Amino acid sequence: MHIADGMVSAPVCLVGYGLTGLTTWLSLKQINHTAEPTQGVPKAALLTAAFFVASLIHIPVPPASVHLVLNGLMGVVLGYYAFPAVLIGLFFQAVMFGHGGLSTLGINAVIMGLPALVAAQIFRRGRRLLQRAPRWGLGCSAFGAGAIALALSVLLFSSIVVLSLPANLDATIERAAILTLGLAHIPLIFLEGIFTALLALFLDRVKPELLKD
Amino acid sequence: MGLLSKVEIYRPRPSPLHWWEPRYKLMGFVALILAFANVRDWRLILPMLAITAALYRLAQLPLLFLLQRLRYPGLILLGLVAALPFVAGETILWQGGGLTLRQEGCLALLLISARFISIMTLGLLLLATTPFVTLMRSLRSLGLPSLLVDMTLLTYRYLFDLGETLHTMQTALRLRGFGQQQRLRLGPLAALAGSLLIRSYEQSEQVYRAMRLRGYGSLQRFSTSTERRSPWHWLGFIAILLTALGFLSANFWLSEL
Repeated sequence: MHIADGMVSAPVCLVGYGLTGLTTWLSLKQINHTAEPTQGVPKAALLTAAFFVASLIHIPVPPASVHLVLNGLMGVVLGYYAFPAVLIGLFFQAVMFGHGGLSTLGINAVIMGLPALVAAQIFRRGRRLLQRAPRWGLGCSAFGAGAIALALSVLLFSSIVVLSLPANLDATIERAAILTLGLAHIPLIFLEGIFTALLALFLDRVKPELLKD
Repeated sequence: MGLLSKVEIYRPRPSPLHWWEPRYKLMGFVALILAFANVRDWRLILPMLAITAALYRLAQLPLLFLLQRLRYPGLILLGLVAALPFVAGETILWQGGGLTLRQEGCLALLLISARFISIMTLGLLLLATTPFVTLMRSLRSLGLPSLLVDMTLLTYRYLFDLGETLHTMQTALRLRGFGQQQRLRLGPLAALAGSLLIRSYEQSEQVYRAMRLRGYGSLQRFSTSTERRSPWHWLGFIAILLTALGFLSANFWLSEL
């Protein structure tokens, strides 16, 4: 789910970089408001590396296998560091494997990173809302964060790809393409949500400080 | 970690592109990448590919290196846009067997593929002719926030370690019989990913303490005076910038015709 180099025009790339610059600036502003901003850097960097590596794990979905995006989980664990972390992860994916590209790094960061920030809010608010049943609250909030983050990413990706192709597509075909891409991802959205919930429950049991604000 | 073994892209060669001052190279390539991304007229495809090929030749890199890098993302891109010649446009070129080949769709496919090859090649040239740490230092001196640069360098440093850790953990899982049946078992996989996150978190606390002892957070770490003094550096930048401007103007002029 990456937009490759050459797929979208320069204005789209520039808008992507503009939005990414703005969101990164806002995230860094929030991070710099903390008591010791540099303290979070090694944690965020190593977790970024861990997320990057974890996204390479194959999940067997017979007869094939899939990779998870984990942007919702990044929001859950990293909070405001999630957007810079997504940006760095996408940079390495573009550099190492050619997934995405350097010209589309900004737009891909918007597609993956903004939903990660939304996921962070869903998780925090959901947990607060369901604090009477902490385990259920944690599981449900993490499921919502993981599933909604991927759903938003799919929606952004499909819309940007279909609407910015350099050929006049029929409006019906455009709608059908967006709908098909969206429907094809529904099982993955559920899978991502369940995986995020299971992982959050595991972290809560073994290392709860990773899920603290 | 087979995939992570592809990480090091830098290929040392005695070429002008390797010798070029990284900041000028970075700014020039970004301008050219944006100009290529803006190409919307099929008549600019050949000049764009010719300039890309000339720059690649200047870097003295083997063709196989480029082909290996383009193969996998190229297939993904093709999967996304392969249907365009049959669904986009109104001018019919050929009809038969329930399929209709359309001119606008064919041109769009050509344009996207050419832009992809050119931009990917330029990105690859930038990384293959500049060591990663030098590139990050250049980005820092061009104004990228230090927090972002530090995070990127630390992520780069620990990517290999964590890749090895995951490989070891997956081997241990396999030896205990996990993955023998093609069944969806998310619990153990979530625990695997969770253990990886916890290990990296614990490691990060030690790394932070070690970094503080070495003065992290109190010193200017990067010297920005990396400029090699020669007029060829900025002349090269001007040449690339003029080429980029040429493409932007040609694109504008052709679209007005």
